[in-house]
Amino acid sequence: MKNAKMHLSTETMNLGFVKKVEALSGSSVRRCFQCGKCSAGCPMRSFMEHPPNRIVRLLQLGQWERVLAGRSIWYCASCETCSTRCPNKVDLAAIMDALRKLSWDAAGPSKESYVQLANRLFMENIRTYGRQYEMRLAAVFNMKSGQFLKDLMLGPKLITKGKLKMFHAKNQNVGEIERIFSRIEEMRKKGEAP
Amino acid sequence: MSRIGVFICHCGENISRTVDVERVAQVTARLPGVAIALDYKYMCSDPGQNLLKKAVAEHKLDGVVVAACSPRMHEKTFRNAARAAGLNPFLCEMANIREHCSWVHEDREEATAKAIDIVKFTVSRVKKDRALAPITVPITKRALVIGGGIAGIQAALDIADAGHQVVLVEREPSIGGHMAQLSETFPTLDCSQCIMTPKMVDVANHPNIKLYTWSEIEEVSGYIGNFQVTVRRKARSVDEDKCTGCGVCMAKCPQKKIDNAFDRNLGTRPAIYVPFPQAVPNTPVIDRDNCTRFKTGKCGVCEKVCGPGAIDYGQQDQLIVEPVGAIVVASGFDLYNIGPKPADSPYEGYGEFGYGAIPDVIDGLTFERLASASGPTGGKILRPSDGKEPKQVVFIQCVGSRAREKGISYCSKICCMYTAKHTMLYKHKIHDGQAYVFFMDARTPGKNYDEFWRRAVEEEEAVYIRGMVSRLYQKGDKVVVMGSDVLVGVQVEIEADLVVLATAVQARTGADLLAQKLGISYDRYNFYSEAHAKLKPVECATAGIYLAGACQGPKDIPDTVSQASAAAAKVMTLFAKDQLEREPIVARVNERNCAGCLACKKVCPYGAVEEKEIRDRNGNLIKTVAYVNPGVCGGCGTCQATCPSKSVELDGYTDEQIMAMIEAL
Repeated sequence: MKNAKMHLSTETMNLGFVKKVEALSGSSVRRCFQCGKCSAGCPMRSFMEHPPNRIVRLLQLGQWERVLAGRSIWYCASCETCSTRCPNKVDLAAIMDALRKLSWDAAGPSKESYVQLANRLFMENIRTYGRQYEMRLAAVFNMKSGQFLKDLMLGPKLITKGKLKMFHAKNQNVGEIERIFSRIEEMRKKGEAP
Repeated sequence: MSRIGVFICHCGENISRTVDVERVAQVTARLPGVAIALDYKYMCSDPGQNLLKKAVAEHKLDGVVVAACSPRMHEKTFRNAARAAGLNPFLCEMANIREHCSWVHEDREEATAKAIDIVKFTVSRVKKDRALAPITVPITKRALVIGGGIAGIQAALDIADAGHQVVLVEREPSIGGHMAQLSETFPTLDCSQCIMTPKMVDVANHPNIKLYTWSEIEEVSGYIGNFQVTVRRKARSVDEDKCTGCGVCMAKCPQKKIDNAFDRNLGTRPAIYVPFPQAVPNTPVIDRDNCTRFKTGKCGVCEKVCGPGAIDYGQQDQLIVEPVGAIVVASGFDLYNIGPKPADSPYEGYGEFGYGAIPDVIDGLTFERLASASGPTGGKILRPSDGKEPKQVVFIQCVGSRAREKGISYCSKICCMYTAKHTMLYKHKIHDGQAYVFFMDARTPGKNYDEFWRRAVEEEEAVYIRGMVSRLYQKGDKVVVMGSDVLVGVQVEIEADLVVLATAVQARTGADLLAQKLGISYDRYNFYSEAHAKLKPVECATAGIYLAGACQGPKDIPDTVSQASAAAAKVMTLFAKDQLEREPIVARVNERNCAGCLACKKVCPYGAVEEKEIRDRNGNLIKTVAYVNPGVCGGCGTCQATCPSKSVELDGYTDEQIMAMIEAL
C-alpha cells in the first residue's frame, strides 16, 4: 500500500474527505507548500511511517485510505509543535485530531492498529467504573488483541510501586457519569456532536 | 629632459600590505626624467587627487604616472585630475601595482621589486606619450528598432515620444509578436490583446515612427551615431497605400486551407492574409508559396475583387537604406524545437513525451491559442484530436529547460508562471475539469508572482505534483502520464485528456546571423550578450547597439517592457548630445610609408580600415593607402601587429612606446 503506484483522477482523489477534514479542523490543507517544518520538529517522527508533511501531502491528493491506513495519526502526541511553527498557519494538530475522529468513524482502515480497541476499552472502563481501572484495561486488551503475554513482566513492577491496583476503586457518582455518556450519545444521534 | 610625477597609492592596505610603497617612491624618484615621486594612502580620494594637481603645478610636470589599481578602475579619475591641473589627460598613465602585483603576490621583497619595474616601464611609456585630443563624431538622431513585439513597440514608442525619428522593422506581416498570441497575462490576468492592440495602433499612428513590416535587415554598416542600415522590404504583392483593409480579398480567396502559423497551425488561413484580425498594419500579404496564382498562373480572384486595385502580383523586394544613430535589437525568441518534425503532424517530436506522435500533447503557446478568444476555437478549450472538452489536463514544466541532456541548462523563467496561469484559465472555462502540474521547482520571484501561483493551488485547486514525468503514451483516447510524486515517494499515473508541455524559451532561429550583421556578440545559446551582466544590462559591447526583451535571454512581459524602456532611455541619452566624444586611442596610418597592401583591412575586427587614394594636383593617382576611420576604430591594435611596413600605429601604444617599456626592464 505504502509504495503502490498512485492513480490520480477526479474519481480516485476523494476531495469530499478532504473537505470533511478541513471542516472539522478549521484548517486549509491546500495551503501547505510542503516545506517540511512540521516533520522537522515532530518528536514522534521516527515512529511514523508517514511524517506529518506527507500526511498533508496525501490529503492534498485526496488519498484518504493511505492516510488512515497508517499508524502515524495515532502516534501523534498532540504536542502542537507543528501548528505553532507552520509558516502557512496550517493547524496540523487539529488536522490530526480530525483524522483520528474520521478514522474512528470509518472503523476500518485503522484496524491494523489496536488503537481503536484500546480507546474503546478505555472509554468503557470510565463508563462502568467512573474512573480508569488499569488492571482490567491491560488484561482485556491483551485478551482481545490476542497478545496474552504482552508487557506481562511490567505488571509486578507497577504493582510494587503502587501504580497498578489489583481491585478497582469505584467512583461514587457513576450515575452522573453515565448521564454524560448517554447525553453525548443522544447528541450524536441528532448530529449535534461529532 | 621630461618632468614626470610618480604617485604611488597604498589603496588602504591593498597595496601597502605586500608592496613597500615608500621604497617604490624612493627608488622611482631617482629615475631619469622623474621630477617627484610620492606615496599616499588613497590616491583616488579628494586629498589624493589634490596632491596630484598641486604637484603638476608646483613641479611643472609634463607627464604623470599613477601607480595604483587597474586603468579600468580609475584611469578616468586621474586623467580628469590631470586635465583639471592643466595637463593633457592622455599624458597621465596608470601603473597597475594592485591587480597585477600586490593582489597576486605574497613575498614582500619580490612584489616590491616588481612594483618598481612596473612603475619604471610606465615612466618610459609616458615619456613617449603624445598629447591627444578627443575625437568627436556627429550623431544621426534617428533610431532603428529591430522587432515589433512588445519590446520593440515599447522602445519605439518611448524614443518617438522623446521627439526622435524611429524606424521599426518587423519580419512578419504585422507587429505584435508573441504577446499578440497570448490569451491572458500573469499575474493580473488581463487580456493580452486588450493591452497590446492600443500600443500597436499608437505605433502605426505615431508621426515619428516609420513602420516596415514584412521586412528584414539586409546589411548594417557604420558605427555609433552613424549606422547605415539596408532594409529588405519583401514583396507584399499588395500596395499598402491603396489597400483599405476591407478584407474582401481574404474572404474570396479560393485557397483557404493553409495552416495558420499564428494559431500554431490549429486553424487555417487563405493565401492572401493578415495573421490575425487586429493586425497592424491591416494590409494583407500574399503567401506566394501557397498562392494558386503564383504556383500555376491561373486565379487572380483577389485582383478582380479588390475595389481600390491594390493587388500587385509584379511587386519586387525593395532595398531601402536608412541612416540611423542607434539600434535597439528586440528580435524576440522561439520555443524549443523538440526533436524532428514528423511529416503528418504540426508538432515536433520529443521522444519519451510523444510530442508530435500524440495529437493531444501540445505546447504552452498552442494552449494560449486554444484559450484565446480570438483563437481557432473561439476561446473554447477543445483538444486537437477530436475537439472534445478535456476533463483531465496535465501540465509538465521544464520541458527542454534545465535539461542538459537536451542541450539547455538554463531556466526559461516564464514557464512556472504561465503554467499556473494556464491552470486558472482552464478552471475558469471548464469548471468540472481537473488540472495537474508536474514540476521540479516552482520559481516565482516577482511582484505578486508567488501569490499568483499559490492562488492557482489553493483557490483554483490545481494539483501540483513535485516530480518529473518519465513518459507519455496513448491509450485509447487518453494520454497516460507516468510520473512520480517525490514528496510522497511513489509513482503517479494519470490518464489525461490533454497534456501541455511548458517548452523552453530559445533564441530565435537565425539570431546568430542577425548578430553577425550587427557585429554584436552572442552566447552559446545564441542569446545576445549584454556588455555587463549587472551594470550594463541593456548595452551591447558594440557601441550604439542596445538590447530589449527575450533576444537577450528568457524574459516575461514586465521585464521585457522595463528593458525596452531602459534601452530607449540609453538611445535618448546618446541623442541628447549633438556630437559624440570618443577616446582618441585609435590607429593612425603613416601614409608616406604605407604600401597599400591593406593587410590591416583584412584583420580589422571593427571594419574601420578603408582604402584611400592619394592623387597629385592634376588628379592622377599616386597610390592607394589604408585609412583608419577614427569613429569606427576600436583601438585593439591588431592592424599595428599585422602591418609589414610598420606604418600603422595605435596612439598611446606605439611601437616606440612598447620598445621603450621593454628597454626599461
